[in-house]
Amino acid sequence: MRFFRFLLVTFAALNLLLMPAAAQAARQFVDAAGRTVEIPDRIERVLAAGPPASVLLYVLAPEKMVGWVRSPSAAEKEFLAEPFRDLPETGRLTGRGNTANIEMVLSMKPDIIIDVGSIDPTYASLADRVQEQTGIPYVLIDGAFPRTPETLREVADVLGVKARGEELASYAGRTMEWQKETVADIAGDERPRVYYGRGPDGLETGSAGSINMEVLDVVGAANVAALAGSGGLSNVSIEQVLGWNPDVILTLSPDFQKSVMSDPTWANLKAVKEGRVYRAPTLPFGWFDSPPGVNRLIAVTWLTAILYPEKAEFDLRERTREFYRLFYQVELTDGQLDRLLADSAVR
Amino acid sequence: MMMTARDLAFGYRGTLVGEGVTLAVEAARVLCLMGPNGCGKTTLFRTLLGLLPPLAGRLELHGRPVMEFSRSEFARHVAYVPQAGSSYFPFSVTEVVTMARASRIGAFATPSAHDREIAQGALERLGLQHLASRPFTEISGGERQMTLIARALAQEAELVVMDEPTASLDFGNQAKVLDCINELRGSGLAIVLSTHDPGHAFACADSVALMKRGRIICEGTPQAAVTPETLRNLYGVEIAVEFMRGAGRNICAPALGRFRKE
Amino acid sequence: MSKGEALSGIGKQGRAARLRGVVPPVLLLIVVVLALFAGKYDVSPSDMALVVWSRLTGTPSGLDSTVETVVWNVRLPRVLAGLLVGASLAAAGAVYQGLFRNPLVSPDILGVSAGASLGAVGGIFFSLPVLAIQSMAFAGGLVAVALVYLVGSAVRGRDPILVLVLAGVAIGALLGACISLLKVLADPYNQLPAITFWLLGSLASITRADAFSILPAVLLGLAPMVLLRWRMNLMTLDEEEARALGMETGRLRLLLVAAATLMTAAAVSVSGIIGWVGLVMPHIARGLVGPDFGRLLPASLMLGGGYLVGVDALARTVAQIEVPLGILTAVIGAPFFLWLLASGRRGWQ
Repeated sequence: MRFFRFLLVTFAALNLLLMPAAAQAARQFVDAAGRTVEIPDRIERVLAAGPPASVLLYVLAPEKMVGWVRSPSAAEKEFLAEPFRDLPETGRLTGRGNTANIEMVLSMKPDIIIDVGSIDPTYASLADRVQEQTGIPYVLIDGAFPRTPETLREVADVLGVKARGEELASYAGRTMEWQKETVADIAGDERPRVYYGRGPDGLETGSAGSINMEVLDVVGAANVAALAGSGGLSNVSIEQVLGWNPDVILTLSPDFQKSVMSDPTWANLKAVKEGRVYRAPTLPFGWFDSPPGVNRLIAVTWLTAILYPEKAEFDLRERTREFYRLFYQVELTDGQLDRLLADSAVR
Repeated sequence: MMMTARDLAFGYRGTLVGEGVTLAVEAARVLCLMGPNGCGKTTLFRTLLGLLPPLAGRLELHGRPVMEFSRSEFARHVAYVPQAGSSYFPFSVTEVVTMARASRIGAFATPSAHDREIAQGALERLGLQHLASRPFTEISGGERQMTLIARALAQEAELVVMDEPTASLDFGNQAKVLDCINELRGSGLAIVLSTHDPGHAFACADSVALMKRGRIICEGTPQAAVTPETLRNLYGVEIAVEFMRGAGRNICAPALGRFRKE
Repeated sequence: MSKGEALSGIGKQGRAARLRGVVPPVLLLIVVVLALFAGKYDVSPSDMALVVWSRLTGTPSGLDSTVETVVWNVRLPRVLAGLLVGASLAAAGAVYQGLFRNPLVSPDILGVSAGASLGAVGGIFFSLPVLAIQSMAFAGGLVAVALVYLVGSAVRGRDPILVLVLAGVAIGALLGACISLLKVLADPYNQLPAITFWLLGSLASITRADAFSILPAVLLGLAPMVLLRWRMNLMTLDEEEARALGMETGRLRLLLVAAATLMTAAAVSVSGIIGWVGLVMPHIARGLVGPDFGRLLPASLMLGGGYLVGVDALARTVAQIEVPLGILTAVIGAPFFLWLLASGRRGWQ
């Protein structure tokens, strides 16, 4: 009983002592979830809350990054610029794994935390919590692929790197417009039908509206598995894929790409017969699927090359080199290009 | 009359175990219930203790139907001594005996000094005070049984129901328990007990009831009710009932059948 | 032994018991102090003292405001929450072990964890704000146990305990299947990792508000346990024995299960699923202070709270990133428990 009362008194006393901390404000910013956040005028140190934010920060203002959400592997580092590729790992900040140590976040003293992704009430409330707990402004940015140019401009403005942002945003805008014009005259029912097979057996795929398939929609291709589920990943059976008979198969797994060409069960598919099975490159960031950030811009060019070969009157290699130079600030050698595009391009 | 049963039918919901039971339990008297395995003794005891509702007939304690009592009130009058199994947790003997005070103290109260004194007194009365701080799980079977009897004493009830108190006890402990029962009767308690050994009836009972398949087939004093004829009817084997001078009372022993020791 | 000695428990056994009884509060104090100083952000003892002093007196501390943020917004809420969650789980475990007469029972046996998990996973699946997710976890835990109780009392068995356990197993399995279904349907990029991490248990994002929000439920659940602490001992007897001693076992069981469930659901709603504490801590407490619930309850509270605070301090310092609590409590707790078993400590059976 006495212990019980002691507990009660202690908690009451602590409650009196604890008061919320106040943050210094400079300008107001309304983020994608409608939250009005006060952010400093000058921002020198930025923390990414998740992988898409990491990518965005790296392309816009790598000198302001305090770290990577996940440390790049040796293979990935080859395609990233020094010294940024050696920055420390900070972990994911909210919800999707929530592995970052708050005290470590605080010790890095970021001026702002940026989170790029889909916006829903869960992440809005998580943002509020972290902001209140740490006193660091936390902004949510809509990472939907079609608005990539706007996203680039918006965040560049926040970070104070308008010129760089404009450079990247206009490249993005031009690329997407060019792509639309290039395929504008292809009728709806002649659009390429694509199956995206994830996992080692290739039977996991994204259905309509899933974040993994955004790029397909933008380049005007049809996802054969659009009706296989709702908005997420779903497991399908080989019979379903045979029924859909896609024109092109995309995958991430090199094992699956090899096995599908030799497996008799898949042999009757149009895509396999025509050899149109491509692996999406992943270095330094995935071209097609994950992370769902601005890194997917290169996929617009790449998919045009492999899905619409008759329209591909451009040099994919040169375009890739250009993209990597502009966005990732690395010069690709021929050898690196070869490795990148090895199983990913029309032969 | 302390507790009376009139034409009592007992059993579980939907299953009749026994009927037509008429009994009377009086102060300073020991009633011994005897019968083969599965005759319904335990179910009858559960009914007498108010743990099962009677299926028909009347069962009254101090003139009131047993089902009308709250559990707490009933426990102030009737105590239950089950067979001493092993406890789940190592409570001390004192703690076990003190548990009897539950019906005497408030819902949120803990035992007072008075309660502890009563518990200690019960232990001393049965000569168990040397076991007071020993864990219940570490004393012998006989000592455990005696502890449960001490608990019934600490309950300060007038009627004690004992379910086979000598089962699985060695000879010496059996004798101790029987002595204890006699002493309790001497101090005015009413006792109802069941037993497997017909000889116990001669050791401590004032009246005996023989139960077979849920019905009382014979009752009376031990002299009248426990005879070779009634025992043969009850157990289905030949049992000799003879006075043993050394023990000072009748002893019962089965006459063994075909395979005899040569 | 004289009457006086027996009554007051003096003697070698009494002294040894008292010494063992001192272990939980001392351990708790040590662990809490160590945990307050553990963390990735460097806060020296003098800094800590300055921060506390400045709050108490209202004068500025002169330190970087981040230090204050770390102490008041990050570390203190985490230690507080760790205490509350650990204490709740251990107390609930002690109650359940007594009610089910089994030293190997954990608070999950009637499905509170499964229900809370379903509530939280549902909240994450429907993209609700964090407060709603926590509330759904809390409600889910309560509803699951209520359901088990309803089913258990509708079935007329001779052994009410066994019926409850079986109902708990069945409903727990059903809820588990629903959780699995939601996991399959969840968005694999945004929601599934969140679900997985929640199910592993963590105090990483605990705020001050979280710690204080569960306090009413924890206290509300603790109150009946404290009031009924002596009667709880009798609940460990056979059903018939307890009733024959004058106890309304059905009512008491309902009240105690409700109290334990309230505490567990409150704890789980902010911390996620953390196993092992509710199973092992009451066990160890019983080995130290005996089965009398009046001593077992405070010992369990202190050991449970201390253990979780200690493990959480490890979770946030041992690696670059946060280690989920549920993993650590098992990794540390299981070998320790095995060692205790092997060294043959008395008082388990």
